[in-house]
Amino acid sequence: MKRSAIFSVGVFISAALFSLATPLVFSAPKVGELAPDFSATASNGKTYHLADFRGKFVVLEWHNNGCPYTRKHYESGNMQRLQKEWTAKGVVWFTVISSAPGTQGFMTADAENAYMGKMNAAPTAALLDASGDLGHLYDAKTTPQIVIINPQGVMIYDGAIDDHATSDASDIPNSKNYVQEALTSAMAGKPLAMSATRPYGCSVKYADASH
Amino acid sequence: MQRNAVSMMDARLRIDVDRFSARVAGSIFSPAVATLALAIFLLLSGSATSAQSAHIPHGTLELISENSAITPGHDFTIGLEFKMEHGWHIYWENPGDSGEPPHVTWQLPKGLTAGEIKWPAPRKMGASTIVNYVYDGDVLLMAPIRVGADYSASTPDKIEAAVKFLICSDQMCMPGKAQVSLAAPAKAQGGQDAGTAAIFAAARARLPKPAPPNWKVSGHKEKDSFVIDIQAGQPISQGYFFPLNESQIDNSAPQVAASLPTGLRLTLRKSGELTKPIGILKGVLELPSGEAYLLNVPIKFAGPQ
Repeated sequence: MKRSAIFSVGVFISAALFSLATPLVFSAPKVGELAPDFSATASNGKTYHLADFRGKFVVLEWHNNGCPYTRKHYESGNMQRLQKEWTAKGVVWFTVISSAPGTQGFMTADAENAYMGKMNAAPTAALLDASGDLGHLYDAKTTPQIVIINPQGVMIYDGAIDDHATSDASDIPNSKNYVQEALTSAMAGKPLAMSATRPYGCSVKYADASH
Repeated sequence: MQRNAVSMMDARLRIDVDRFSARVAGSIFSPAVATLALAIFLLLSGSATSAQSAHIPHGTLELISENSAITPGHDFTIGLEFKMEHGWHIYWENPGDSGEPPHVTWQLPKGLTAGEIKWPAPRKMGASTIVNYVYDGDVLLMAPIRVGADYSASTPDKIEAAVKFLICSDQMCMPGKAQVSLAAPAKAQGGQDAGTAAIFAAARARLPKPAPPNWKVSGHKEKDSFVIDIQAGQPISQGYFFPLNESQIDNSAPQVAASLPTGLRLTLRKSGELTKPIGILKGVLELPSGEAYLLNVPIKFAGPQ
């Protein structure tokens, strides 16, 4: 199958036990636990394997470029600022696109490369997850949802980008940015003020969104 | 319930005539002619409130009133009527795992104040891992309007609402923004508007009711869940609990309902986002009959001994 060729999942053992019984309601990875390993293909053609980034902070940013909440952070330049600032400090930043073909935000590699150029987006890479496997592995619910993994491979943050659950860019200057806070604290060896928040935005447009 | 096509046309026509009368009043026609035209028109239309439906992505939005005129000292109800194309939805007060409820900013004449929106019971919608609480089809979001005893007609005598919302299908989400208004003249007597009565009655029937006085509702915490018991004096076979607050229960976890000899027990998985203990779990319990009740469930730390 195409999806297994581009995507292989090495699930952390306890998660695997849950997933064997009920694949879609398995216990989602929790903050404080090892982040489930994955490898995925990016729009630049390369394959990225999470385990290769031990020793670095890794950010996963779920993305749908048509979603009003994603657009809030891209059209204002907020997301690109975060990407530039933190990748310059050695953070590995993966934009993850889990929109299924035919849904909002689905991108071919070429279209995504053009979009990133146009928007001056600066993640390490944009992972193409049209199967939704990586999204489901992390139980990603919204765009933009953020997961942060520390150099030991432990998930230290899961949730919203900031504390204003709106699609209005004028709210950004008055928002507390959880990504900024979490990475600043974690790099300084301090505990995080917030480690699990309600992610806000559009639902991730998975192939199996059956309503 | 749908408003009939004739009254919808009336509403649009009234707007046009109002505009016409305003324009001609300041131009070649005498104010008397304009007033006469308006009077004849109002007589023909049979109702004094006028509204205009706004086009929104994949639907329409209209501000409607339960009363045909504003009477000083008499509160009344207005409503934002969303009509959505099949496959599209907006969100409840607690949207669930994603989405955002509509936000309304009222612009009211002096002497009027708007109360909180009355949210009808939502519909649970979702795939296995993302669950939302939504409205689809037609929904009326009602708001009470308090009218001061000294209210007098002002110019413009108009109730306006700036509405922002998110509208989604399974495949995509779009931002919605609309400015809707309603002209409602002050009158000594303003009775129910026959054209909207059925819509308001249907919307009221969808509002959650206070829990019956003979119900006893209690809850306790277990390791990963909240267990709530509803003692209603008779067995209840099923029920679904819509949490009013975010990040308290896991929306996508299956709710376990167990019928009790005198009620219902629901086991709800705690949200992974819950960081502080909660004393009260607020929500709407929907029964298989479609009846919905507001519950404030006090949560004890330990189970019943």
